[in-house]
Amino acid sequence: MSNKKYAPKRASGYLPLLAIFVLFVIFLYGPMITIFILSFQGTDGGLTFPLRGISLHWFGKLAEGLGVVDIAAALKRSLLLGLVVMLITVAFSVLAGLAFRKKLCGGNALFYVTVASLIMPSIIVSLGIGLQFRLLDNGMKYVLEAFGATSMLESFGTSLGMFTSALGAHLTWTLPFGLLIMFAVFNRFNRAYEEAAADLGATPWQTFRFVVFPLIAPSVVGIGMFGFTLSWDEIARTSQAIGDVNTLPLELQGLTTTVTNPAIYALGTLTTLVSFVVMGVTIAAAMWLARKRK
Amino acid sequence: MDETNTTVDTTLADQKRRTLLKGTAGILAAGMFPAIHAQEKIVLRYLGTAVNQDKAIAEKFKADTGIEIQYVAVTTDDVTKRAVTAPNSFDLIDTEYFSLKKIVPTGNLKGIDTKRIKNSGKITSLFTTGEVAGKKVGDQGTAPKKVIYLEGEKSKVFAKSPTQFMSLIPTVYNADTLGIRPDLIKRPIDSWAELLNPEFKGKAAILNIPSIGIMDAAMVVEAKGIYKYPDKGNMTKKEIDLTIKTLIEAKKAGQFRALWKDFNESVNLMASGEVVIQSMWSPAVTAVRTKGIACTFQPLKEGYRAWAAGFGVPKTVTGKKADGVYEFINWFLDGWAGAYLNRQGYYSAVLETAKSKMEAYEWAYWMEGKPATQDIKSPNGDVLAKTGATRDGGSYETRMGGIACWNALMDENEYMVKKWNEFVAA
Amino acid sequence: MNQKPLSISANWQATPYALVFLLLFLIPLALILMVSFWNFNDYEIIPAFTLRNYIAIFDGCGSLNEYGDVCVTFKTYFATLRMSFLVWLVTLLLGFSVAYFLAFHVRSANVQTLLFVLCTIPFWTSNVIRMISWIPLLGRNGLVNQALVGAGVVDKPIEWLLFSEFSVVLAFVHLFTMFMIVPIFNSMMRIDRSLLEAANDAGASAWQTLWNVIVPLSRTGVIIGSIFVITMVMGDFVTVGVMGGQQIASVGKIIQVQTSALQLPLAAANAVILLLVALMIIWGLTRLVDIRREL
Repeated sequence: MSNKKYAPKRASGYLPLLAIFVLFVIFLYGPMITIFILSFQGTDGGLTFPLRGISLHWFGKLAEGLGVVDIAAALKRSLLLGLVVMLITVAFSVLAGLAFRKKLCGGNALFYVTVASLIMPSIIVSLGIGLQFRLLDNGMKYVLEAFGATSMLESFGTSLGMFTSALGAHLTWTLPFGLLIMFAVFNRFNRAYEEAAADLGATPWQTFRFVVFPLIAPSVVGIGMFGFTLSWDEIARTSQAIGDVNTLPLELQGLTTTVTNPAIYALGTLTTLVSFVVMGVTIAAAMWLARKRK
Repeated sequence: MDETNTTVDTTLADQKRRTLLKGTAGILAAGMFPAIHAQEKIVLRYLGTAVNQDKAIAEKFKADTGIEIQYVAVTTDDVTKRAVTAPNSFDLIDTEYFSLKKIVPTGNLKGIDTKRIKNSGKITSLFTTGEVAGKKVGDQGTAPKKVIYLEGEKSKVFAKSPTQFMSLIPTVYNADTLGIRPDLIKRPIDSWAELLNPEFKGKAAILNIPSIGIMDAAMVVEAKGIYKYPDKGNMTKKEIDLTIKTLIEAKKAGQFRALWKDFNESVNLMASGEVVIQSMWSPAVTAVRTKGIACTFQPLKEGYRAWAAGFGVPKTVTGKKADGVYEFINWFLDGWAGAYLNRQGYYSAVLETAKSKMEAYEWAYWMEGKPATQDIKSPNGDVLAKTGATRDGGSYETRMGGIACWNALMDENEYMVKKWNEFVAA
Repeated sequence: MNQKPLSISANWQATPYALVFLLLFLIPLALILMVSFWNFNDYEIIPAFTLRNYIAIFDGCGSLNEYGDVCVTFKTYFATLRMSFLVWLVTLLLGFSVAYFLAFHVRSANVQTLLFVLCTIPFWTSNVIRMISWIPLLGRNGLVNQALVGAGVVDKPIEWLLFSEFSVVLAFVHLFTMFMIVPIFNSMMRIDRSLLEAANDAGASAWQTLWNVIVPLSRTGVIIGSIFVITMVMGDFVTVGVMGGQQIASVGKIIQVQTSALQLPLAAANAVILLLVALMIIWGLTRLVDIRREL
C-alpha cells in the first residue's frame, strides 16, 4: 500500500475498502436476489432452479391468499409488535445507557444479566417464560374460582399474549443489543459538553434534550432499527410465549409445512419492495424536513 | 349417619357462601368486563400443523354452523410441546397418536364422549381393532388401537378394551414409505435397504425427528438382514445402539446429503435434485409432482410405517365452547371434510360418509386403486393425475394392509434421543 | 451537581430496563435452573431434586468411545466453539473493514445512514424465506454452481457449498456481520479526527495509524460486536440446522432436540452449562477490555 501523505479528505485504502463494501452488500443481497428471480417462476416451477418460464402467476396466488394463513393480519400484528418493541427498546436502553455512565449500584450484575440474556438459547428463554405465565394463569384461575366468577373463568383463556409474554420475550432479546450499542455510543463521549451545559444552568433534562440527545440521535435511530428488525424476525423466543395468535415469522414457518411453491418467494419480494418504499419515503421526508429547517 | 349429616351441612353452607361470592364477583366482573357477557359468538382455537388446517374446511364449517375456526399453525414438535406446556392456549388440538403417550398422562386432555359423536361407531376398524377388511395389520409401535380409548373422561390411563371415551377422534392417517426420483435413479427400487445403498452416496436423506427417524432406520436394518426387531416401536437399549451404529457408519461414509425436519425441506431436497431417495410423507411427494418433477412414493416389500392424527379436547374447555368443539368434530366426520382430505391423498376416519361426498371416479382412483377414468384434481383444481394413472401403492386395503409399524414413542425414549444426538454429532 | 442525587437518578434511569429483565428473564431463568435439577419421565417433570441431568450430560466423558472419539458433549462443545471462533474471526475482519470504510471514507452523515439502511433491508425479508433461498443459491443446481460451471472454473458442481460447515459459517457471517459493524462504527465515530492528523503529521504510516490509533480506540466496539457474535453463534440452532443439513452438531441443536422430545430438565441443564461456558468467555473478553470504563 502506498504510503502517500495523509489527506484529510480521504483516508488511505479507499479503493480496496470500497470493493470490500460493495462485495459485502452483494453478499447480503445474494439470497434476496435469488428470492427475487424465483418469485417470477413459471406456473409449473418450484422453489428451486431451474426456472420454468417467467410469470406473475405466484403474485396472483399470493393475492388470493396462502392457504389458511391470514398473512395480512399476521403482518399487521408483527408490525405493531415490532413498533412497540422498537419504542420500548429505544427508551429503556437509552435510559439505562445514561444510568451506566454514572455510579450505578448493581451495574455489574445488570451487565452480566444482559449478556446472559443474549447467551441463553432462545428456545429455553421461551419455555421459561411460557412456564412462568402458566403459573400465572393457574394463579388467576384459582382467584377467579375462589370468587366463583364462572363466566369469566370460561372466557379466560390465558395471560400469554402478544403484548404480555411475547412482548416481554422480545424485549429480553432486543434490549441487550440496545444497551450494548449505547455502550459503544457513549464510549469516550465527551463529558465536557454536559458539564458546560450544567454550568450554564441547564437542568439535567435540558442538558439531555438539547446537548446529549442531538449528539447521539443518529445512533438512537440505529438502535430503533435494530430493535424493530430483531423483533420482526424473531421466532425461537416467541414460539412458546406467544399464546394463541402467531406473529408473521411463526405463521410463515407454519406455512412452509404446506406451501412449497414460489408464492412464498413472491411474498418475500413484496415485503422487500414495501420496505424499500417505506425507507425511501422516510429518508426523503427526513431530508426534506432537514432542508426546511435550514 | 352423623358423619353424612355434617357433610351435607357443610356442603350447604359452602353453597350459600359460594352463591354470595358469585353474586359479588358477578357484579364486579360485569362492571369490569361488560364485553364478555355481550359476546356470544364462538371462536374455536384449533392448534395443529398447517398440513391439516385448510381454509376451505374452516369456511365451509362457518357457513354450515356459524362457528368460527381460528387456526393456530405450528410445527409438529410444537404441537406436542404446547399441548403439554400451554394447554390454555387452544380449544381443539390436532395431533398425532404417538404423542398421546406424552400428553395424556399430563391430564391436559379430556376423554371425548363417543355418545356425543354421531358417527363414532363408523370409525374405521384400523383405529378401533387394528384391522383392515377383517385382517390384522402390523401393530409395532404406538398403534392407535393401543391409545385411542381412555378409562374415563378424566382418566390419565389408556384403556385396554373399548370404552365410551376416546383420547383422539381420528382425522387423517396414512402410510409412509420412501420417496424416490425415478428419473434420476433409473431402476426399480423395492426395499428399504436401498436407503443406505452406497450407490446413492451423498444423495440420500432421512427424517431428523428422532422418534420417527429411528423407525425408518429400523426398517432399513431389518431389510438389510442385520437384525430382526421384536418391536421396532419399542426397542431395547441394545437395539437402539445397533440401529444408531448403522446410521453413524452410513453418515461417516457420506451417505446422507442432509437430514430433514420440515415438510418443505423434504420437498426442496427432492425437487432440487439434492436428494434422490429419502423417507418422505405422501403430500410432500404430491407437492414435488405438481411441479412437473417425477417423484414416486415407492411401495416397498417390507411394508409401510404408518401414522395417524386426530382431534383432542383440552380439559380446560367447558360450556358453550365445549359444545362448539363437539359440533365441529361431528361436522368433520360427516363426510364433506373426509372427502376433501381423501382428495389430497390422505385417508379419512369415516370412509362411508366421505364416499357419499365423492364422485364415483374419484373414489375408484383414490380408494380402490383403479386407473383414473378422467383427470384427478386436487381440491383447489391442480391436476394430480392424468386419465389412466393409478395411485402409488394401490387400493386402501393393499396400502393400509401393508402397514409394518406405527410412529411410536418408545419406553427408552430418553436414551434413544441421546443416541440420536450422537448420530447428528458424528 | 454533586455525586449523590446523580446516583439516585441513575438507579431510577436503569429501573425500567432492570425490571424487564427481573420479570421476564431472571424469573424464567430461575425456573429453568430449578427444573434442571428436577427429575422427569416421558411426559412430566417431577419436582424432586436430582443431579441425573447433569450426570447424563457428562456420561461417558471420562474415556474415548468405540470410534476413538470423545463423548458427544465434549465433541459438540468443541464443534460449537470452533464454529464460534471461525465466525467471530470472519465477521471481525469483514465488519472492521466495512465499519472503517463507513466511518472514515464516507463523510456525509446522510450517506452513512443511507448505506446502513441499504445493509439492513435484506433482513426485513423474513428469515424463514431467506433460509429456503439458500438451496437455489448454493445447491447443486444453484446460481453459484451454475455460474462456476458456466464460467468453466469447475467442471462439475461443488458439493460442499451447501449442507457443510462452510455453508453454516457463510450463513452466520451473512446474518451477524451487521452486529459487528454497528458497534465498531459507533466507536470509530467517537475517534477525534485530529488524532489521525496528528499521527500523520508525526510521520506514522497508514498501517501504523491503523494499528496504534484506530484499533485501540475502537476496541470497545470490537468487544461489544464480539459479544454479540459469539453469544448468538453459541446459542443458535436454526442456522446450524438448515445450513448444515441437520447433520452438524451444536449445543443449541442438542438443546432443541431435547426440548422437542420434551426432555425439558435435560435441556435446561444443558442450557445452564452453555450459559456458564459462554459467560466465562465474555468475562474473559471484558477482562481484556472493560467496555464500561470509558462510558
